[in-house]
Amino acid sequence: MENERVTLTVPARGEYAKTVRMTAAALVSRMGMSYDDVDDVRIAAEEAFVYACDSEPASGDVTLLFLPQGDLVRIDVSLGSGGPVHGEDAERRASYATFILQSVCDRFELSSDENGAWLRLEKRSSSVSIDDV
Amino acid sequence: MTSSRSGPRKQTRKLSWDKQYTRELFRRYRLEGDESARDELITMYLNLVKYLASRFRNRGEPIDDLVQVGTIGLIKAIDRFDIERQVEFTTYATPTIVGELKRYFRDKGWAVKVPRRLQELSFRVNQAVDALTQRNQRSPSIPEIAEYLGVTSEDVLEAMETSEAYNFVSLESDRGGDGADTFSILEYIGKDDAFMSIIDDRTTLSGALRHLTPQEQHVLYLRFFEGLTQTEIARQLEISQMQVSRLLRRTLKVLREHIVRD
Repeated sequence: MENERVTLTVPARGEYAKTVRMTAAALVSRMGMSYDDVDDVRIAAEEAFVYACDSEPASGDVTLLFLPQGDLVRIDVSLGSGGPVHGEDAERRASYATFILQSVCDRFELSSDENGAWLRLEKRSSSVSIDDV
Repeated sequence: MTSSRSGPRKQTRKLSWDKQYTRELFRRYRLEGDESARDELITMYLNLVKYLASRFRNRGEPIDDLVQVGTIGLIKAIDRFDIERQVEFTTYATPTIVGELKRYFRDKGWAVKVPRRLQELSFRVNQAVDALTQRNQRSPSIPEIAEYLGVTSEDVLEAMETSEAYNFVSLESDRGGDGADTFSILEYIGKDDAFMSIIDDRTTLSGALRHLTPQEQHVLYLRFFEGLTQTEIARQLEISQMQVSRLLRRTLKVLREHIVRD
């Protein structure tokens, strides 16, 4: 499944969080990620999705692009064109989401170009023994 | 932290433990292998078990069963307590005993109607994760869990979703109404006074974090500040990995709600 892309587009509404979580979990479990890592990815995907919903995308949809690369998965989450988030509540939620994403992902960044803005998450399979730590 | 405390509650006998004598008993048990000292410790702290078990009454389980379950936690705590550590035994034992009681309730208190098949599967996945983690000394992959249980990976993933419908037995819900009941929580959070200040320094989330119980904060702290994996947290707090997972997700949800509301 190296470099096989999976794209999921769902309406930017909270009730689709479960769809996002389950899709993300199913994909990374196929990569052989551990239970711990799968759960991290579920958390990350949901946080990123909620963040994206707050960015009020004009299309009314959020698109997640999953790209497995070896023991790493990259997830790009589309954001609304007007920038990351709007409003005081949403900003607070965003700072919270940022905090969580920085913790559960190996890499996390906010990017934009002429095609729009997106969140890019990277999660690497940890596969370390609990006695190695 | 005081080692003796008495509450106004009618049904709770006076909770009183002698620090000095406790230390002496642990010394005799550990250094001299005196089993009678261990027995005496168990008897001595049975009131702590009864007290904690009573906090879980009115949940449809006979109090005697709960005391029995809690006693298992007490014995674990006695056998694992590090006498070199500068922490009171009650502080150390309380989360272990509560953890054992929660583990017992884990399979009983489903908050919403979940099909019996999924309840059972979720329970078996939980056990499989614990068993495989123990055996392989690492977090198992989803296919490994599936193979162990003779189900599909999709079944395991579904069970992970299902487990969130479970009604987590929360200390928070036990706290209302009876002032004396804050006892174990104070003991618990008292072990790390620096905790809140770390949060204050490092995030803007301190206000929201105050809505969490100490155990929730503890899990959150270990996961997001210490960077421990769920497996490591489970081992440290002596709860199951799936409980850590639920606790984390519940905690994140509570935080998100409060961040907006505050």
